[in-house]
Amino acid sequence: MSERALGIQYSTPAQEREAVTLGMWAFLATEVLFFGALIAAYLNYRIWFGSDFIAAARMTKVVLGTANTAVLLTSSACMAMAVTTFDAGSKRAPVLWLIATALLGLAFVVIKGTEWFLEYREHLVPALNFDVARYGGVAEIFFVFYFCATGLHALHLLIGICLVSWVAIRIGRGSLVPGGSTTRLIGLYWHFVDIVWIFLFPLIYLAGRNG
Amino acid sequence: MTGRAVLRCWLALMLLLAATTASAFVPLGSLNLPISLSIAVTKALIVLLFFMELRSSRALVRAFAAAGFFWLLIMITLTGADYWHRTDARAPIDQAYQR
Repeated sequence: MSERALGIQYSTPAQEREAVTLGMWAFLATEVLFFGALIAAYLNYRIWFGSDFIAAARMTKVVLGTANTAVLLTSSACMAMAVTTFDAGSKRAPVLWLIATALLGLAFVVIKGTEWFLEYREHLVPALNFDVARYGGVAEIFFVFYFCATGLHALHLLIGICLVSWVAIRIGRGSLVPGGSTTRLIGLYWHFVDIVWIFLFPLIYLAGRNG
Repeated sequence: MTGRAVLRCWLALMLLLAATTASAFVPLGSLNLPISLSIAVTKALIVLLFFMELRSSRALVRAFAAAGFFWLLIMITLTGADYWHRTDARAPIDQAYQR
């Protein structure tokens, strides 16, 4: 196994590791605010419109949403296994765990797409075919939030799937060796996308189920 | 992280997911939202501390990780301080949709 070359701006591997980790967290902080603005808007409208807004959330597909949450949480566990086995020096195991991570991510997008299709058939897509006469204007505001939030989340997940596949290929070819940070940093991004969903799930799918 | 620790975290996340979905169907009125958000925070902490390795990270990395969430709380609180207490003078978009 070849030695990894240290970036010329660093004097020790530990310094490089901390610098790139801080860089990734700085990027993730901007992402927290990016998705956070959407969630702040959701909370405002939920308090503003009350029961009409919450009633709209009942039209989301809670079984598919719960299944998708389980899929995404499992994908994060696979990602953590990929990082662990990679650091331990294994070459085959991290590739398999990364493939599992990417496949679970794809499964999430497919389930999400199924939901979008069902909602399209129910005329719930604002700006495309939303039936205001049937569902009302407040429900339309909820579904604007729903499609913006789940759409942006799915976009982040698709980017994550590409990155995870790229890392799997590079480890498989032997151009990524333990000691570097690439696998761990892509893992941080993947886990972050998981955390966004952890908060979107109760706000979108669990609102208004108690009545 | 060991493989065993990843498995324990995954089991905890699955149990919390089952708990949050089940609790949503119990009629507790306005308590349902705080309960589901508390469970979400617990799940996020498991991912942050173990999967994202903040538990074994240096303080500077933890500060960077906390900063985003800290500013998010400021944004939500200050926005809410206005919107959540308005009884009149709605924003134009809200006037279009009567309560």
